[in-house]
Amino acid sequence: MKKVLEIEGLFVDLQLPAGTLQAVQNVSFSVNQGETLSLVGESGCGKSLTALAVMNLLPPSGRFRAEKMEFMGESLLGVNEAGMAKVRGDKMAMIFQEPMTSLNPCYTIGNQLEEAYLQHRNVPESEARERAIYLLEKVGITAAASRLSQYPHQLSGGLRQRVMIAMGLMCGPALIIADEPTTALDVTIQAQILALLHALQKEFNMGLILITHDLGVVARMADRVAVMYCGQVVETGLAAEIFNNPKHPYTRGLMDCIPVPGKVEPGQKLGSIPGIVPTPIGNLHGCLFRNRCRYFRSKCAAENIPLIELGPGRAVRCISEQINS
Amino acid sequence: MEIQTVLETRDVTKTYMVGVGVMKAKKPLRAVSGVSLSVKKGSVLGLVGESGCGKSTMAKMILGLENVSSGEIFLGGQSLSSFSPKEIARRVQPVFQDPYASLNPRKSIGSIISLPLRALKVGSAKDLDGKIDEIMDVVGLPPRTKHNYPNQLSGGQRQRVAVARALIMRPEVVLCDEPTSALDVSVQAQILNLLMDLRRELGLTYVLISHDLAVVEHLATKVAVMYLGRIVEEAPTIDLFKQPRHPYTQALLQSVLTPEPHLGLPETHLGIAYPNPIDPPSGCTFHPRCPFAEDICKKEAPSPTGEGGHIVECHFPRS
Repeated sequence: MKKVLEIEGLFVDLQLPAGTLQAVQNVSFSVNQGETLSLVGESGCGKSLTALAVMNLLPPSGRFRAEKMEFMGESLLGVNEAGMAKVRGDKMAMIFQEPMTSLNPCYTIGNQLEEAYLQHRNVPESEARERAIYLLEKVGITAAASRLSQYPHQLSGGLRQRVMIAMGLMCGPALIIADEPTTALDVTIQAQILALLHALQKEFNMGLILITHDLGVVARMADRVAVMYCGQVVETGLAAEIFNNPKHPYTRGLMDCIPVPGKVEPGQKLGSIPGIVPTPIGNLHGCLFRNRCRYFRSKCAAENIPLIELGPGRAVRCISEQINS
Repeated sequence: MEIQTVLETRDVTKTYMVGVGVMKAKKPLRAVSGVSLSVKKGSVLGLVGESGCGKSTMAKMILGLENVSSGEIFLGGQSLSSFSPKEIARRVQPVFQDPYASLNPRKSIGSIISLPLRALKVGSAKDLDGKIDEIMDVVGLPPRTKHNYPNQLSGGQRQRVAVARALIMRPEVVLCDEPTSALDVSVQAQILNLLMDLRRELGLTYVLISHDLAVVEHLATKVAVMYLGRIVEEAPTIDLFKQPRHPYTQALLQSVLTPEPHLGLPETHLGIAYPNPIDPPSGCTFHPRCPFAEDICKKEAPSPTGEGGHIVECHFPRS
């Protein structure tokens, strides 16, 4: 299988009044054609900034550096803004969380759908229109032609998210980055949108980076998973391995936190992770999870913990022997 | 001894008049139509449904923030309309969804928590401090945060402040509107554990509004499923999750994504459109999305049937 995106040693720093926030530290991953990689973690773990760095859309206070960042075999490092603008929205598309705020209320759906296509393809407007109608139908919107003249406020949340997906697909991207694509939606709509995304991904053989905090979504969608904590990848592996045999104490803690019908008895206490996420400012050393970890030993504070390979594509950032028992 | 019913709604309806365009007559929108529920002391009623189904309107009416259009709400056997707003506030307190938006950023934590006491003039100024310390201890807030401001606290701590503010009046009913959906998973577990502990220790009664069925199953003793302003199914939690009878409830349960990677994505057969509440479908309002709909469903609205506290509003309930 062909690698769509390959990243090695990605760092993102945010300049804040309080100091330099090391939002992403040494993150490496790759996505193949037709594969779903899920970046999962709680707010502030750096999962969204990782995606924004790939698109070169970091906020003004943010800077990134990487050893390697290859998109379809070509390096994105050192590509200027004009060069990135050619890639973004063409071969690399992004679907954001809030369809309410990421669609422009002043333009029609048709206008917004066609914009990127006209920009990248230099085709007559009628062709862009045709493609927009084709994709709106693909994402399950009825009466697609008449929708083109509607404004975002005339659509429901689920429809807006479908429009966002259609917009991402306009130029036939090789990679889609979906940042919490269903968090703002109802459960029934969420299931539909995810099923749609999954079907389209397989049909067009796209790579998908799915960023979410919802372990249920991850379990049902992802082929591979990278669990992030405090800017670092703490565990990676196939989805089945991560869920059936979580190794890192943080991953295990997350799994225990969610009420699962049939697994956790109603009224029974849920597991929780004590303490709060530290802010990665200043000199970071040792395991960043140590002050919340039940397996803490003095060694955890002394040295930086590397990602320890457990098997092909399976790694965990923990030195405790207990994680293997 | 019979357990006391704390909160009861009888055939409650709320109709809003909404404008559909310039120079057009306003149209009625039935946000809640004919809802009857009862909540026993010490129990937890879970109210679930998609956005726009009327669950938040129910919450507003129970809190006395909206008047009912018809029907009646009873609190401890007395009609809600006979209470003044302050009396309602003494007996029913809310915990809202977003602790970033529901706490005043310019007030200290102590001041936020004690506001209900001061507003309702309960106790003397001298007792105030003691009461704040006590309730902060109950919800697990460190005493030093008393003089902090909301922006200095984490999301979980903020939600604890919201819970403390709701509990300081020792209300009869605590209304939790999506209490954990704005929180991270690890923090959500802490708040859910806290709500469960408090219920056990203080004998609290909750009305829990949530779209997260896993949370509802975990916390609620009885669940009511709302669709377009109607309760379409109501049952003790265990029954409802084990044997959902309404096709809508079944679709909702199927849509829950549990962290089981081998299951893949569910197929819900619900179609896209949630109907427009201004112009609800005829007969059973669920029929356009129902895979089992027959002719009668389009013509006649079903009436509630069922036994043993498991009530379902459907012409062809599943078994």
